[in-house]
Amino acid sequence: MDMDTIHVELWLYGPLARYAGEQSQGSYAQLHLDLPAGSTMQDLLDRLGLPAEEKGITFVNGSLAALPGLDSDRAVVLHDGDRVGISHNNSMWPFQYRFGVSLTPEIETTFRERTDRGIHHAYTEPSE
Amino acid sequence: MAKLLRLNMADRTASLQDLPEAYKLLGGRGLSSTIVYDEVDPQCHPLGPNNKLVFAPGIVSGTAAPTSSRLSVGAKSPLTGGIKEANVGSAFSPAQAAMGIKAIVVEGQPAEKGKWWLAYVTWGWSEGQPVVEFLPADEYAGRDLYEVFPELFKRFGKVSIAGIGTAGEYLYSNSGVVFEDMEGRPARYAGRGGLGAVMGSKGLKFIVLDRKGAPGVGLANKEVFEQGRRKLTDALMTHAITKPKGALNSYGTAVLINILNEAGGLPTRNFSSGRFEGAAKIAGEAVFEGNKERLGKELYNHACSPGCIIRCSNTWHRPDGTEHVSCQEYESIWSLGANCGIDSLDVTGELIKLCNAYGVDTIEMGTTLGVAMEGGLLAFGDGQRAIELMHEVGKGTPTGRILGSGTATAARLLGVTRVPVVKGQSMPAYEPRAVKGIGITYATSTMGADHTSGYTIAPEILGVSGKVDQFDRDKATLARNFLEATAYIDSTGHCLFIAFAILDIASGFEGSVEECNGVLGTSWTMDDVGRIGKEILAREVAFNRAAGISKQYDRMPEFMRLEKLPPHNVTWDVPDSTLDAVFP
Repeated sequence: MDMDTIHVELWLYGPLARYAGEQSQGSYAQLHLDLPAGSTMQDLLDRLGLPAEEKGITFVNGSLAALPGLDSDRAVVLHDGDRVGISHNNSMWPFQYRFGVSLTPEIETTFRERTDRGIHHAYTEPSE
Repeated sequence: MAKLLRLNMADRTASLQDLPEAYKLLGGRGLSSTIVYDEVDPQCHPLGPNNKLVFAPGIVSGTAAPTSSRLSVGAKSPLTGGIKEANVGSAFSPAQAAMGIKAIVVEGQPAEKGKWWLAYVTWGWSEGQPVVEFLPADEYAGRDLYEVFPELFKRFGKVSIAGIGTAGEYLYSNSGVVFEDMEGRPARYAGRGGLGAVMGSKGLKFIVLDRKGAPGVGLANKEVFEQGRRKLTDALMTHAITKPKGALNSYGTAVLINILNEAGGLPTRNFSSGRFEGAAKIAGEAVFEGNKERLGKELYNHACSPGCIIRCSNTWHRPDGTEHVSCQEYESIWSLGANCGIDSLDVTGELIKLCNAYGVDTIEMGTTLGVAMEGGLLAFGDGQRAIELMHEVGKGTPTGRILGSGTATAARLLGVTRVPVVKGQSMPAYEPRAVKGIGITYATSTMGADHTSGYTIAPEILGVSGKVDQFDRDKATLARNFLEATAYIDSTGHCLFIAFAILDIASGFEGSVEECNGVLGTSWTMDDVGRIGKEILAREVAFNRAAGISKQYDRMPEFMRLEKLPPHNVTWDVPDSTLDAVFP
């Protein structure tokens, strides 16, 4: 394998499956992507044409990387063999069901810097 | 004048009692747990004459408060041996509240076994109070609830029903109490803890409420109530999780399947892994897309009970577009799906339908099938055999009786040592090795392993008793705060899901307290929430301790300390001292 390429397993959920094109299974998509070494989460989104505002709860290797309204993951550098899971922005994960889960260092820093310490259920503005 | 309605099944007499002064400000779980604490001998056999079954609507149930048709059903549990309140959304709750019945207390036991009764409760126009008639119900016994419910509605008209299926008749520790949903389906359950067996042990098959003519719930302060109702409604209508076409209304609670699976916290094949390769096929998004494909249009979710504006209950359809079942919710899809290695919504749908038809708790049933699979009774992933075994449960064959006895009992009989229970009740769909916080709740809840015991509550409220910091070392205080706040919400009659909105929108929380003040004439503030929750939990803990459930039962099963859970390869490592500090 080319040393300058990394392989990433990507799961897209709900309406985001359409960004997988023909590989969409309707309600989800599983993609195997080769990316240039050093690629970030933002590079991955650009490659898919997935607008940041559609992205919701996001995981890298099973660690929480982003919540809707708290996307601390854009600059995260991906590595060979990573599994990335991206949910749509109409997903949810109430705090009591994520209290004590594995976090990426970036989102942990984001939580620690906030006065609410990251315990809210939603970080998007309430809608009209 | 609010009343307690006692149904004595020893001699089939009913009596109305003025509500004791001490119960005036209680409702829902606060009232059901207090009556069990006051009146039930903690040492009694749960299926003997000294247990009592309590039905209590919440404080604001029956009013115009949004999403408030919850009912608490309480007793000593045959599954855990401790106190139990199982909570359900149904028209039964507002109907009971409208009739001025703060609690129905079913007590005593008939000498004659094998005869079934129905308590028909109507509003006595001339008496100005509820009137009870006991009717023979043998004709409904031994039958599928999907056949029986339409017969009851045909016979009694527009009524509300609480009852049991064959599981309750057989006194299964995994039997629930069934209520009708908005379409009259036998699909809403006070499911956990085997309360159907308590009802069955008293020879009571159904309670039928006809609220026609009843006065409704009075308001002590209409202005305060209205102000609160508006604040809470606004919060629910705008929050991302609870608003129309939001997360719950679009995808239901099963929107969590893909999330927990990615997190490595979706218990799979009897808690042997935290990730299921077939998860995406049984997720809320798959329910939504599957219905769209089969119906040719988008289908959003419906209310399980009157007055709900969150509307998270779904309906699943067959390939030909006809209705299969309501409702495929997160815990049920998980327990009967991922936990059994089953990746088909048509199979989970059928299993859920059979749970409803026979009257068992879907969570406990799925975890029991999980240990049965591990014990070699059937293979992981064998949906067809699981469906056959569900019929055995409903028909009371020897194998069916083992499976109806709950996860811990089935595991013992099948020689399985990986037993995902706390205090005899099985764990729901969050793996505590991967989601440590919920593990503290599972371990310390007065109810046995329960995912609805410890909801996170507004930092503005918790600020009273300490800061809310997920990184703080003192996890015990945080867990206790969550348990207390949840006990309060369970008393209001609101669905616990209002917590999603009121955690983030403080005015919504104020509104829920003002609604209670409007009904009760109190002047509670947000500071009272913790106090009220604390009082409820103190009674529940005291009952359990007197029943012989000591602190040493506030523990995770040993296998979780010994076995590493993939994909994170983590064990349960929260120290016992943390668990002991929750209820010192």
